[in-house]
Amino acid sequence: MSERQPILSVRNVSKHFGGVQALDKVSFDVFPGEVVALAGDNGAGKSTVIKAISGVYPYEDGDIFLDGKRIAFATPQEARDNGIETIYQDLALADNLSIGANIFLGREPMKRLFGILPAIDRKRMAEAAKETMKRLDFHVDRLDAPVAAFSGGQRQAVAIGRAMYWNARLVIMDEPTAALGVPEQRKVIALIQSLKAEGKGIIFISHNLRDIFEVADRIVVFRRGENAGERTPGTVSADEIVRLMVGK
Amino acid sequence: MAAPQLQVNAGKSILIRIAELRAWLFLILLIVFFESWARAAYGMSFIVNLYNIQSITVFATVPLMLALGQTFVIISAGIDLSLGFVMGLSSVVAAHMANIAAAQLGLGPFPAMMFGILAGIVVTFIPGLVNGWLIAYLRVPPFIGTLGMYGVARGSAYLAGGGMTVAVNNEWYSVIGNSRPFGIPVLVMIAVVAIIIMHYLLSQTRFGQHTYALGASKAAASRAGINIKMLTMRIYLLSGLTAGLAGALYTGRFSAGAPQAGEPLLLDSIAAVVIGGASLFGGSGTIWGTVAGALVIAVIQYGLVFIDVEPFWQFIAVGTVIIISVLVDQAQRRFIGGRQVE
Amino acid sequence: MERRSLIKMMGAATAAAGTSLIAGKASAAEKVTIALIPGLTADGFYVTMHKGAEAAAKALGVDLIYQGAAEWNVSLQVPILDAVIAKKPAAILIAPNDKQQLIQPLKKANDTGIAVVCVDTFIGNGVFQTGSGDADFPISYVASDNVLGGRMAARALAKAIGEKGKVYVSNTIPNISTTDQREEGFKLEIKNYPNIEVLETQFNGDDANKAAAQFQAVLGRVPDLAGVFGANLFSAAGAANGAKQAGVAGKVKMAGFDAPESIVAQLKDGTFELTIAQHPAEIGYFGLVAAYAHVTGNPVPTAIGTGFTVMTAANIDDPNVSRYLYKSE
Ligand SMILES: Nc1ncnc2c1ncn2[C@@H]1O[C@H](COP(=O)(O)OP(=O)(O)OP(=O)(O)O)[C@@H](O)[C@H]1O
Ligand SMILES: [Mg+2]
Repeated sequence: MSERQPILSVRNVSKHFGGVQALDKVSFDVFPGEVVALAGDNGAGKSTVIKAISGVYPYEDGDIFLDGKRIAFATPQEARDNGIETIYQDLALADNLSIGANIFLGREPMKRLFGILPAIDRKRMAEAAKETMKRLDFHVDRLDAPVAAFSGGQRQAVAIGRAMYWNARLVIMDEPTAALGVPEQRKVIALIQSLKAEGKGIIFISHNLRDIFEVADRIVVFRRGENAGERTPGTVSADEIVRLMVGK
Repeated sequence: MAAPQLQVNAGKSILIRIAELRAWLFLILLIVFFESWARAAYGMSFIVNLYNIQSITVFATVPLMLALGQTFVIISAGIDLSLGFVMGLSSVVAAHMANIAAAQLGLGPFPAMMFGILAGIVVTFIPGLVNGWLIAYLRVPPFIGTLGMYGVARGSAYLAGGGMTVAVNNEWYSVIGNSRPFGIPVLVMIAVVAIIIMHYLLSQTRFGQHTYALGASKAAASRAGINIKMLTMRIYLLSGLTAGLAGALYTGRFSAGAPQAGEPLLLDSIAAVVIGGASLFGGSGTIWGTVAGALVIAVIQYGLVFIDVEPFWQFIAVGTVIIISVLVDQAQRRFIGGRQVE
Repeated sequence: MERRSLIKMMGAATAAAGTSLIAGKASAAEKVTIALIPGLTADGFYVTMHKGAEAAAKALGVDLIYQGAAEWNVSLQVPILDAVIAKKPAAILIAPNDKQQLIQPLKKANDTGIAVVCVDTFIGNGVFQTGSGDADFPISYVASDNVLGGRMAARALAKAIGEKGKVYVSNTIPNISTTDQREEGFKLEIKNYPNIEVLETQFNGDDANKAAAQFQAVLGRVPDLAGVFGANLFSAAGAANGAKQAGVAGKVKMAGFDAPESIVAQLKDGTFELTIAQHPAEIGYFGLVAAYAHVTGNPVPTAIGTGFTVMTAANIDDPNVSRYLYKSE
C-alpha cells in the first residue's frame, strides 16, 4: 500500500473555533481506489477536517497535500476544480431540476441556438446523465423528471453520479446514509463500491459501524479533534472501534 | 458486489403536464364561459372578435411587463414588492426626460422619446441594484428589503414628478403607446419581444437555470459553485428593468408620467405569476405560465365588463382563480414535489 | 334641492360676513394657528386650495400649517392628522379620505377643543351641527357642491351628444364622498333627457389601465356608446385612452372632472369634450375664513358651496375660464 503515492495526505492539521480546539494535529492518507472511513463521536472533528480539505474553512496549522502538492483552497469551487467533490446528505441537489441539470449545475454545457445565441445544451446534459447513471447501474425512464421525485438513495446516486461525471479523484461523503432507510443504505454502499472500482479515493463519514465495516478499507478514528487510532476492518472488532472513539 | 437497481417512477407524467398547463386551461375555460354568455345574452362573439383581442392584449401588457420580472424573482424564492413604484418612478422620469430632451436639448420628437424611454429604464438600475444588494449581501429578507424600496421608490417617484402627473407632448411617444399598424398594437408587439427575450433568459441560459436552482435550494446552488450573491443582484436588477420598461410604456400610452401608475398593478403582477404556475416557495414557474396568468386576469376583468356583470364580481373571480391555482400547486407538490418546466 | 340653494345662499352670505370680520377682528385677536390637511398633496387641486387658504391666512394674520400625505389613503392620512392634533391648532381644515373611517380620528380632535372644518370631502353624510349622528361635530362643510358638479357635467355631456344615446360613469372607488356625489348628480340630471340611457358604473380603483380596458369592454358590447363621464382625473384619462386605443377618440364624447394644466391640450385635441373645473382656491379661502370666524366667536354657516366652470375647447383660451385651471405650484 505505502509504495503508491496517496491522493490525499493530511499532516498535523489543526483548527480551532474560538476556544474550541476542533482539530488538533490530525493526520491520515487516502490512496487511489481506497475507502477511508472517518469514525468518531459527535463533535470529534470529522466534518471540520473534510471542510478544511474542501475549502469551506481555512486550516491554521499543518499541511494538506493533494497528489503531493500542498493545498489550501479558499472556496469549495476551487476544490471542485481540483478534483475534490463533496457529497452531503441534504444540501447537494436542486430538487426542481433533472438529473442532468444537477450533474451540470454551475457548469452547464452550452450550444449555439441558430448558430448565434448561446443556450444550455439540454440534450447533452440528458445524454451525460443517462451514461453516468448507467455506470452506476441506475436506470431512469424519464431523464427530465425533477429529482424531487426520487428517494433518498436515488438522490445520493445522482450526487455520486455528479462526482463521477466530473472525474473527481477524491470523493468526500459526510454521512451519506444518515437519513436513509436500511434498503436505501445498502444501495448507497453499493454505489460507493462502484466509485471505488473506478479508482477514486473516498472519504466516508458515518456513525453506522455496520456500513463502515462493509465498505471501508481503513478506519481512522478521531476523538476530541485528535487521532485516536487507525485500523483495518478485517483485523478489528466493532467494540474496539467504539473503545477508541470514547477513549476506553 | 450487488448492482443497485434504482427505478424512477415516471407514471405521473400526464398529471404533471396538466398541472403545468393549468393557467392555459383556466384561460380556455374562461374564454368558453364568456363566449357562451356573450352569444346567449347579446348574440355576439367574445373571442372571435379582433377588437376584443386587441383590447385585452393591450390591457394585459403593462401588468404582464411587471409580472415578467417578478417571475424570475419568485422562481428564486424571493418577492419584489417595489415593482409598482419602480414603474411609477420610471414613468415620471421618462416623461420628464422626454420633455427636457425636446425643450432644453432641442431634440426632435423621436430622439426625445427614445431619450425619455432610456432614462426611465436606466433609472431603475438604482432600485434594482439596491434591492439585490440588500438581499444578497446584507441578507435582508426579500419581503422586507423590497418593502423598504417600495417606500423609497414611491417617495422618489412623487419627488421626481413634483407630486403631480407629468404631461408629455410628444407625438411619437403617443404613437408608441397607442397606434396599431396592421391591427397589432405597438404595445403588444413590444410585449411579445419582451416575452421572447425573457423566455430565452429563463429557459436557455445559465442565468435562468441558476435562478431555478437558487429557488429550490440556496445551499445546493452555492455548493455547486454558483455565485449566488451576483445571481441575486442580477435577478432584482432584471425585475427593476422590466418595471422600468412598463413605466416608460405607460407614459407613452397616457401621454403622462404618473408616480402612482404601477401601484394597483403590483398585486396583479404577483397574481399573474402564481396563476401561471409558479410557487411562492420558489423553484418553479415559467414565462409562458406567467403570460397565461396575466391573460387570465385581463380576460376576467375585461370579460365581466363585456357581459355587463356587477363590477365587484371581478375581485371575487380573480381571487377565486388565485386560490384554485395555489391549491393545484399544493396538490401537485404532494405528488411530485417542485419542478422546473422547460 | 332646497338644501342646495340654501347652501349657495349661505355661501354668498359668509363671503360677505367673512370680509367684515377681517376688518373688525384681525388686529385685536392674538395669533391664531389653523391647519389644512389636504386629501393628498400630490394634486394640483389641493395645491390650488392651499394657495386660497394661504391668501386668507395672510389677510387675517393666521398661522397656517399645511401637512398631508402624497396619496389618497386613510392609513396615511390618520397619522398625519394625529401629528397635527398634537400641535394643538385652533382649527383643522381637512379633506377626509373616507366618509366613515375619519369620523373617530376627527372626533378626537374635536374632543380636545380643536374646531374641525371639512373641505372638499366630508365625514358622515356631510350635514353638520344638526345634533344627530356621531359625525355632525364639524363646524362647516366647505366644498364644491359635487352633486351640482355632476349635474353640470350631465347637462354639458347631453348637449355634446345631441341629447340622445348611451353613456356610463367611469368612477374610482365607491364610498368617497365627492365622487359618489358627482355620480349621483350626473344620474339625477340625466333623467331629464329621456333619450339618454345610463349604463352600469365602472369602478377602476384609480388604475387608468383598467379604466381604459373597461371603456373598451363597454364599447365592445355597446358599439353605439355616445359618451362617458369620468368622475375623477384617472377615471376620465383612462376612459379617454380606451377611446384612443379603440379608434373612437372624439367620436365617443368624454366629460372629465377637474382641470389640471395638462387638460388644455387634451380639450384642444378632442381627447376631452369638456371638463368640469372646481374652484379649489375658493374652497381654501372660505374654509379658512369660516374656521377663523368660529374660533373668534362668530357664527358660521354649516355648509358653504363653491362654484364650477365648464371648460371646453371653445372657451379655454378665455382668461375668465383658464384662470380656474389648477396650478401645479
Ligand atoms: N462553525 C463552527 N463554529 C464553532 N464551532 C464549531 C463549528 N463547527 C464545528 N464546531 C465545533 O468543532 C467541534 C468539531 O465539530 P465537527 O462538526 O467537526 O464534529 P463531527 O465529528 O462532524 O460531529 P458529528 O458526528 O456530530 O457530525 C465541535 O466541538 C463543534 O462544536
Ligand atoms: Mg459532522
